[in-house]
Amino acid sequence: MAHQASGMSDDDMAALQKLSDDFQPEISGPLVGQREPSTAITAEYASADPVFQAKTASLPQKYSHYRKMRGDGKCGWRAIAFGYFEALIHFGNENKFVEEEARLRSLHNVVNNAGYSPYLYEDFADAVFDILRKLSVSLQIGNAEELLLESFNDETEQNYVITYFKTLTCSWMKAREGDYAPWLPGQSVTAFVDSQVMPIGSEIENVSMSALKDVLLSPASIQLEVLYLDRTDGVEPNMHRFDPQNSAHPIIGSIRLLYRPGHYDIVYKTEDVPQSTTSVQTYLQYHNETHNEPVMDLGMSDFMTMIPGMSYAGPQQSWLPGAGYGYSDYLASPPASMPALVESPELQSRTQSMYIPTPRTQMVPPSDEMPQDMDIRSDHHEETQPHFSGQSQTSPFRSSYYQFEPGFVSATSHVPFKTAIFKNSHFNTAHFLNPDFQPEEWRPEDEPMLMTNHSKGGRHNSFG
Amino acid sequence: MANRLDAMSPAMTSTPSINQSSKAQDSASRAMNNGNVVKRLQSELMTLMTSPTPGISAFPSTTDITKWNATLAGPVDTPYANLTFKLTLAYPSNYPYAPPEVLFKTPIYHPNVDMSGRICLDILKPAGPGKEGAWSAVLNTGSVLLSIQSLLGEPNNASPLNGEAALLWDRDQDEYKKKVLARHLEPSEMEGDE
Repeated sequence: MAHQASGMSDDDMAALQKLSDDFQPEISGPLVGQREPSTAITAEYASADPVFQAKTASLPQKYSHYRKMRGDGKCGWRAIAFGYFEALIHFGNENKFVEEEARLRSLHNVVNNAGYSPYLYEDFADAVFDILRKLSVSLQIGNAEELLLESFNDETEQNYVITYFKTLTCSWMKAREGDYAPWLPGQSVTAFVDSQVMPIGSEIENVSMSALKDVLLSPASIQLEVLYLDRTDGVEPNMHRFDPQNSAHPIIGSIRLLYRPGHYDIVYKTEDVPQSTTSVQTYLQYHNETHNEPVMDLGMSDFMTMIPGMSYAGPQQSWLPGAGYGYSDYLASPPASMPALVESPELQSRTQSMYIPTPRTQMVPPSDEMPQDMDIRSDHHEETQPHFSGQSQTSPFRSSYYQFEPGFVSATSHVPFKTAIFKNSHFNTAHFLNPDFQPEEWRPEDEPMLMTNHSKGGRHNSFG
Repeated sequence: MANRLDAMSPAMTSTPSINQSSKAQDSASRAMNNGNVVKRLQSELMTLMTSPTPGISAFPSTTDITKWNATLAGPVDTPYANLTFKLTLAYPSNYPYAPPEVLFKTPIYHPNVDMSGRICLDILKPAGPGKEGAWSAVLNTGSVLLSIQSLLGEPNNASPLNGEAALLWDRDQDEYKKKVLARHLEPSEMEGDE
């Protein structure tokens, strides 16, 4: 026999095999750690090579916190599973937990059709439903996050959760073979899930991550993005967002993962981190929609300059019928977007990143949440505003000399402000393409003076 | 995995977890854990009884539901055709999160089974970081026995436990079959096992 030639008996071989089977790499730390400031990652890489140094140095600017996963090969599954529950907690609506349980139960047809008998996965499913119910109850008490952390640090419970999500992933892939087969050259979906996804210790990879997103996250309106921290060029980690399948629906939350080769952790933006027991995120997205409009309008303005006789608005748009509307009409109903222009932190991060499409990850608020959120907004405003004062000097727009003359009234302010379309066109002096561009901020005490010096903040935030 | 040893005494149980919860909770979750094993095994038994697979049978031992005896018919058109094999399965306390330990009780001549009846099959190995095990929690007694049955007709000669059998399988099927028959004992010929 072959192995006897090497001087080993079956028993020796078996003993070695047993040793190999029993081998557990030394892995320490909790399965899911506490949320920590992401500057710790910067410190960790302080003595690494320059690419990592630069990328980790820029990380805390956008992602203020992170959460460590134990590096035992299941970190990717664990991070998404944890992020899923965390996003639901963040959303803060008890009914969502009930909804999710019902939705997952309805998926069991798909699981059964994939060849997994109910008795094989029901224990795993129950573990997930238990957590959903526990969290739903604890939402009112306010200890949902501690409970989740506790559940995920119970190895048995967490293994069950991961196994259930794996089962869902595999079933989904089998049910939609056509969607996933092209990504798996040389093997069938069934062979792939049996050998690469379902085995207990298998790590998540791109295809299964995508399938998990499709079955678990997208229908729950949770978005997934992954930051890749590797040695590629650039000063920021590359971000990949798995597009939400039903992008028409509002997003209730985001899972952000930081990928370092072979390992996933969770990262958070400032607004993901709860500052109080009520959800913070919701407010932010609300205004973001409004502010995209001028940006999208850019294309239209370019187009208009191509029409003979048109240009970027001369100082007097005399061809516009302006007489009928006084600007007082406009002042009586200031555009709601103006204050937000100043205060949206989303836009501020946008100016930093120079139009890298910023994740639109925040939630659209259910209207009944607005009152609480208003408080939070002002907090946030104070905290982030000073950061931008330094950019005033770099703005391409200078204040008009005449603006400081007493009694100054802009000539173009006579044009109608009635329609939303006009507000976003460059004929509006509030539009930055207007040669008489004058950012506006409505302040009751300044009425009827249209132009004020207070408006600088708004200008820089939106277009800096 | 440590759990394999625990399988011998299910009362001891459970993976060492870095659980921050109190000891009381810990033992509660252990109890639940073992309860899960029993419940799961009862479900599996029910399934095997109600929809039996030809050529395969399995039943718990009289004293312990986590130890089963199984019989397997050698697949037709293989050297093992018309032979019957006895196996034992021992389920760890964290089953189905870890695989059962399966042994051939009937002596068998096969590239992937050693003299003590231990089987080298990926799905029977616990998976983990740095391991090649392919055990998954949705596998079960029936699927394990089916896999072993198909292993008889399709040995994995790339990683043999019995190198001679692997060589012979490729070179001389007649000689191979002789060795199989020489090693084999029908259940009636074996001394009473538990």
